[in-house]
Amino acid sequence: MRNPRTTTRHRSRAAIGLLAAGALIFAACGSDDDDAADEAPAEEAPAEDDAPAETDAPADDEAAAGDSFEVFALLPQGNDQPYGTTYLPPFEAKAAELGLNLNIVNSGYDGEQQASDCEVAVAAQPDLIILWPAVGDQVRPCLEAANDAGIPVTVTNSDLIPEDQELSEAYSGPDTYGQGVSSAEMFCEFAGGDDVGILMVNGAPGNSTAIDREAGFEDTINEQCPNVEILQRETGNWNKDDSQLAASEMITAVGAENIGGVYAADDTMVAGVIDALKARDIDPAELIITSIGNTFLGNPLVLSGEVDGTVFQSSSWDGENAAVTAHEVLTGDTSERIVKFMPSVKVTEENADDPSVAPEW
Amino acid sequence: MTVESTVEVGETPEPADPEVGVEQQDFNALEWVSQQGVFVFTALLLIFAGIFIDGFASVDNITDVFNRAAPIGIVAVGMTFVVISANYLDLSVVAQVATSAVLLIAVSNSYNMLLGMALGLLVAIVYGIVNGVAVGVFRANAVIVTLSTTFVGLGLLRWASGGSIYFGDPDGVIATFGSTEIGPFPLAMLVLILVTLAMHFVLTNTTFGFLVKSFGSNRHATRLAGVNTPLVVIGAFTVCAFGAMLGGWVLAAFSNTAVSSMSAGFDFEALAAIIVGGTSVFGGKGSVLRTLLGVVFVSALTNIMVLSGYGFGYQQMAIGALIVLAVSVDALARKVGRS
Amino acid sequence: MTQTATLDLGNGESDLIGRIKTTFARRTEGRAVVLLIIVSIWALIWESTVFTAYEVTLGRLALIGLTAVGLTAVILMGELDLSIASILAVSGVVMASFDNVFLGIAVSLTIGLVIGAVNAFFVVVVGINSFIATLGMLFFLRGMAFVISDEEPVVMANKDFALDFGKPLIGEFTPRVLIFVLAFIAMHVFLTRVRVGREFYAVGGNREAARDAGIPVRRRVFTGFMISGFVAAAAGIIVTLQLTAADPTAGGNALLTSFAAAIVGGILLNGGRGSVLGTLLGAASLAILQVGMTFNGVESDVQNIIIGLVLFFAVITDPNSIRAVLGSARTFFRGRSAPDPAD
Repeated sequence: MRNPRTTTRHRSRAAIGLLAAGALIFAACGSDDDDAADEAPAEEAPAEDDAPAETDAPADDEAAAGDSFEVFALLPQGNDQPYGTTYLPPFEAKAAELGLNLNIVNSGYDGEQQASDCEVAVAAQPDLIILWPAVGDQVRPCLEAANDAGIPVTVTNSDLIPEDQELSEAYSGPDTYGQGVSSAEMFCEFAGGDDVGILMVNGAPGNSTAIDREAGFEDTINEQCPNVEILQRETGNWNKDDSQLAASEMITAVGAENIGGVYAADDTMVAGVIDALKARDIDPAELIITSIGNTFLGNPLVLSGEVDGTVFQSSSWDGENAAVTAHEVLTGDTSERIVKFMPSVKVTEENADDPSVAPEW
Repeated sequence: MTVESTVEVGETPEPADPEVGVEQQDFNALEWVSQQGVFVFTALLLIFAGIFIDGFASVDNITDVFNRAAPIGIVAVGMTFVVISANYLDLSVVAQVATSAVLLIAVSNSYNMLLGMALGLLVAIVYGIVNGVAVGVFRANAVIVTLSTTFVGLGLLRWASGGSIYFGDPDGVIATFGSTEIGPFPLAMLVLILVTLAMHFVLTNTTFGFLVKSFGSNRHATRLAGVNTPLVVIGAFTVCAFGAMLGGWVLAAFSNTAVSSMSAGFDFEALAAIIVGGTSVFGGKGSVLRTLLGVVFVSALTNIMVLSGYGFGYQQMAIGALIVLAVSVDALARKVGRS
Repeated sequence: MTQTATLDLGNGESDLIGRIKTTFARRTEGRAVVLLIIVSIWALIWESTVFTAYEVTLGRLALIGLTAVGLTAVILMGELDLSIASILAVSGVVMASFDNVFLGIAVSLTIGLVIGAVNAFFVVVVGINSFIATLGMLFFLRGMAFVISDEEPVVMANKDFALDFGKPLIGEFTPRVLIFVLAFIAMHVFLTRVRVGREFYAVGGNREAARDAGIPVRRRVFTGFMISGFVAAAAGIIVTLQLTAADPTAGGNALLTSFAAAIVGGILLNGGRGSVLGTLLGAASLAILQVGMTFNGVESDVQNIIIGLVLFFAVITDPNSIRAVLGSARTFFRGRSAPDPAD
């Protein structure tokens, strides 16, 4: 049986412990308002007067371009991934320049989390929502809710599936399917008409960029150069170490002599593939190797000839244009959906040191 | 001969078993399997793979298996201490491995490697103490405590590091370490073996090791015997943290990169290795040598599946089935032993 | 004189107060109540949108709370169920694979029951510790979800039904919230009024005594795991309907936050103490905290840090822990075998 006196004492200790937790929460909130000034959080409920009644037309009641807009950005990655880390600063800078008050949420590629974040976003009644889908097949409810609330939505980095596109005002970003296509086109070119057996290292399982690039690459290979055959595919999880192991094991499984080339869905992984090849005394220069990104890891490999081709993806273009496009929708009259594709610039040894494709991430 | 305690603290209550000290006269096949199983099965697996799977037995592939095994193995060997102390597991190794990897590479790039290592050591001690105090002094459940420290740890790491991927100097010490091999043995594997031997020594030949086992098997008796039990728990978590720190270094060296997401899954994979190795999750007994074997088994299995073309989904199914199977045999053996 | 202290409150007028005090002393939800109050005050001051846009907060509560409620049944018996994350994923993937929504739902729920039974089988019949058994199932089922779905999201055939599911049904409440409320009420009634449910506490508190008292412990454990499996499957169905597609990677967050909600709610991991009410309060605290932080623009990393800290403090301020600190501190500093109040 518990002694009520000690119970009370315990409970008051518990209360103190929780007050400490509470104090921490207060402190965290306080300090958070201080950092990242361009991510100005709305302390009071955001102004309710700027949600227009129309469902489609962009909110142009704030006619003066100098006004500031409340914008919610629903992203699936941020500082937890290299691309996101270099996407955010240009995004935030451009947004600040254009007068967009950003509220950025990172759902960590969890579709459910993003849906929940979207509900919060819609309830906050911002002027616009920027969406970078975590799982392309799962965002329609979010789009419909935003539409019903009269909040325009622009899309960045990964476009919506065709039937959902009408629910958004704009898209800016890379064409992830098209990146796979570009990488494959380079591959076909290098292969000539020869029969080549290749290994494929894909991105994280279930990830939409990974799925799109894989589809783009495979479809193009099948159409344009069926002489190239994918012997085995494994996931590299977007990691260098995982892809190094996967590549090495695939080489064992398939037999080094049967391999004419390797495709990796991004440069971080292709660097792992190169290390795996070198560890087994296979000269990468003799194989056809393509990937996507032209990153800090990848670009030197292209220059040295180890990687034959990659596709430039500019995280800063992506970030900046997300802000620019959002601003355009907010201040302009857009009856048609704006689509801005980041050019999928093929990078080979010839143009690898061209400043226009200088690596950013 | 130690009599197994019938007082189960902090876990699934099981019927008190007064006969467990009585050895069965007849040969209990299941018992034998559960004790020696991991040795036999690992050997069988390797032999089977060597014969039937093309390329498994090649030097390159053995190296791959070792490269798979090393980082997880070092972490698992350290975590064995936590498991033996009947504290389930340490989920925060995920945060710890990533933090130590990032510290090593990032600080080596900006300052020097030794500073990176020193900071890693400091972080390991902090984790060990925080986890250890919460579990040892406050008697809180280890799963939840380490879950919360993982949240905090990963959050801090991402916030501080900006989640970037750090590349080591391609000609630096770290890169060289990561790519050096002696025959089929990557240096990382040698580190794993050394760490295992060291931990084995600690577990079997030091008072601390003895106390960890004693605490895991009977918490009350150990305390009543005058032992500073909170310190034992803090020690177990600190050993685990050291393992995670070393594991992080080895992982960083392998790819010469570090990023906060590189340690995903390390917590459960290490636990799987420990369980398959035969260490009981109830605590009180077990050995790091078994964990080493468990790691080799799991790594070899994953390797075999990749070589056979089975993707991620099948690999997870295999590991899951393996865990359940390994523990089932052990549990059934004990039941048969009693009847 | 051995008067039980809790009843020794002097004269008769205090009896009512005495009984109230005893009731409160027995309740485990105290900490959750305090946390909820703190979090609510914070939200009222800093981010009142949490309350004005209450349907969002309720939605988050339903998300966290549903699996937590099912989990509570298992934890009360002294077991753990880690497999709920993967049950969620598998059931979603299976349901989305059917053209007929209702058939899909029926099959998924059945699968949840079956998996729950399998878990119970390993725990009760084979005799494995539930932590390990469900850990193995967590891996196994996750793999199965990937294999079935071929590693990519499975889109529902009947998208319209799914989209309608996300819209409010009664007033501002969406089906998800309503289902959660029903589940909570059902579980609460089951655990407090129905004999079978009340026996869960006995099974968790002292399994031997329960067995001696004639409670069919094995059957109760089976029931508990099947409830947890069923609820996790239901959660998977709901998530898939809300999102119009099933993702084989779903559920990771659900596992962690469900445990957090239950723990914060005061449930004892050894079993025998706790309630779904506590879980509800815990889930509510976490929901308000998360939604409030998102409205407030707190970065995700910082959000994780804060949730981690809240969980940490919640678990070390468990009444058991507070008592344990005394004993442990004594042992630590003097190494003496003083009587440990936590024993």
